[in-house]
Amino acid sequence: MGKDKFLNEKPEKLTYSGVFKKIDNWARARSLWVVAYGTGCGAIELRPTFTSRFDAERFGMRMVGTPRQADVIVVSGYLTVKTLKRVIRVYEQMQSPKYVVALGACPINGGMYYDSYNAINRLDLYLPVDIWVTGCMPRPEAILAGFKRLQELIDDGKADGWKKYIEALDWYRGNQRKIIKNWRMPNYNW
Amino acid sequence: MNIIERLKERFEVLIAEKKRKDLLIIETTKKGLIPMLFYLKEYEGYRTLTLISCVDWIEDKKFQMSYILWNFRMKANIIVKFMLDRENPDFETVYKLWPQAEAYEREIHEMFGVNFEGNPTQNEELILEDWDNIPPMRRDFDTLKYSMEKFGEREPKSRINIRKEISEQYDEWRRK
Repeated sequence: MGKDKFLNEKPEKLTYSGVFKKIDNWARARSLWVVAYGTGCGAIELRPTFTSRFDAERFGMRMVGTPRQADVIVVSGYLTVKTLKRVIRVYEQMQSPKYVVALGACPINGGMYYDSYNAINRLDLYLPVDIWVTGCMPRPEAILAGFKRLQELIDDGKADGWKKYIEALDWYRGNQRKIIKNWRMPNYNW
Repeated sequence: MNIIERLKERFEVLIAEKKRKDLLIIETTKKGLIPMLFYLKEYEGYRTLTLISCVDWIEDKKFQMSYILWNFRMKANIIVKFMLDRENPDFETVYKLWPQAEAYEREIHEMFGVNFEGNPTQNEELILEDWDNIPPMRRDFDTLKYSMEKFGEREPKSRINIRKEISEQYDEWRRK
C-alpha cells in the first residue's frame, strides 16, 4: 500500500564564492533561526530558553514557524519512528545551510528508552548532527552553551553536516529505509 | 439496597469489592459486560467512560479488560472488569454507548491485538506506523531484542548485559 516517495535525487550543487565565505559565516553565526518543532520532552526546555527568562534573542536566535525560514532544527529528546519521518521531512525542506542540534541522552544512545520498541537509539545514523548537548534534560544554560559552540563552529566554517548529508545521501537513505518501511507522505522538493 | 445488591440481582457478578468510599470494583463475565455498562450508564448515573485498559495475564492465558466509569453527581468511580481469552481475543465495541471509546479501543487493538467488532477505525494506525511484529504490549514480545535488531546496539554493551542479568534475576525472584 502506498508508494515509496523518498527523495532520491540530490539537490543542485551550491556554487560557493571563496571571497565572501568569511562574511557569510560571520553573518550566519549571528542570526540562527530555529524551527519551532518540539519532537520530545526537551521541547519544554526550549520555551524558557527562547523567551524572556534566558532570552536567547540576545544571541540573534529566535523561533520561526516554518522550516523554509529556519537554519537550525532542534531534536529535543527521544524520537519515535513516526516522529523521525516528520523530522526528516522538516529537515529536507529547510534551506541550506542548515544545522541539527540534538538535546539530551536519547538521540545519543537511546537514553532511558534504549529498550523501547518504538524509540530510535542513535540519531546520527539518520541525520547529520552538528552539536550534541548532553543531559536528561539539559538546562537552558546548557542549551545556550551548545548554541554558543555551534556559533563558533559556523564562524570557523566547520559546521558542515548539511554538506555531508548531501554527499552521503545514499548511506543515510539506506539507514532510514531500514526502519521506515513505507514513506506514504505528500511529495515535496529540496 | 445498595448498588452491589442491585447489580447482583440483575447480572452475573463474580467479585464485588468496595475499595474506598468512592471506588467500587466489579468483576463480571464477557457476556454480561455490555448490559451491565448500559445499566450503569442509564440507571445508576455512571455516565462518563474515563478509561478502558487491558492487562496481559500470560500465565493464565487471559487478557483482563477494565472499564472505568465516573458518576459526576456522586463523585464516585466504578471499575467493571472481565477476563478475555488470550488465544481468541474477540470482543464487541462500546463505541455506541460512548463515542470516546473509539480511540481507547483503537489503542488496545494496536498494543494488545484485541479485536473490537463494530469499531469503525480500529484498523487505522494510531502511533505504530508500519508495524511488522506481534503487538508490543503483549508480554511475550521481547522489546530489548527487537530494539537491538532494529535500531542498533547501544554503547557501551556491558550496560545491556548488566540490565539483562538484573531482569533475569528479577524473573527468578518472581517465580519463587
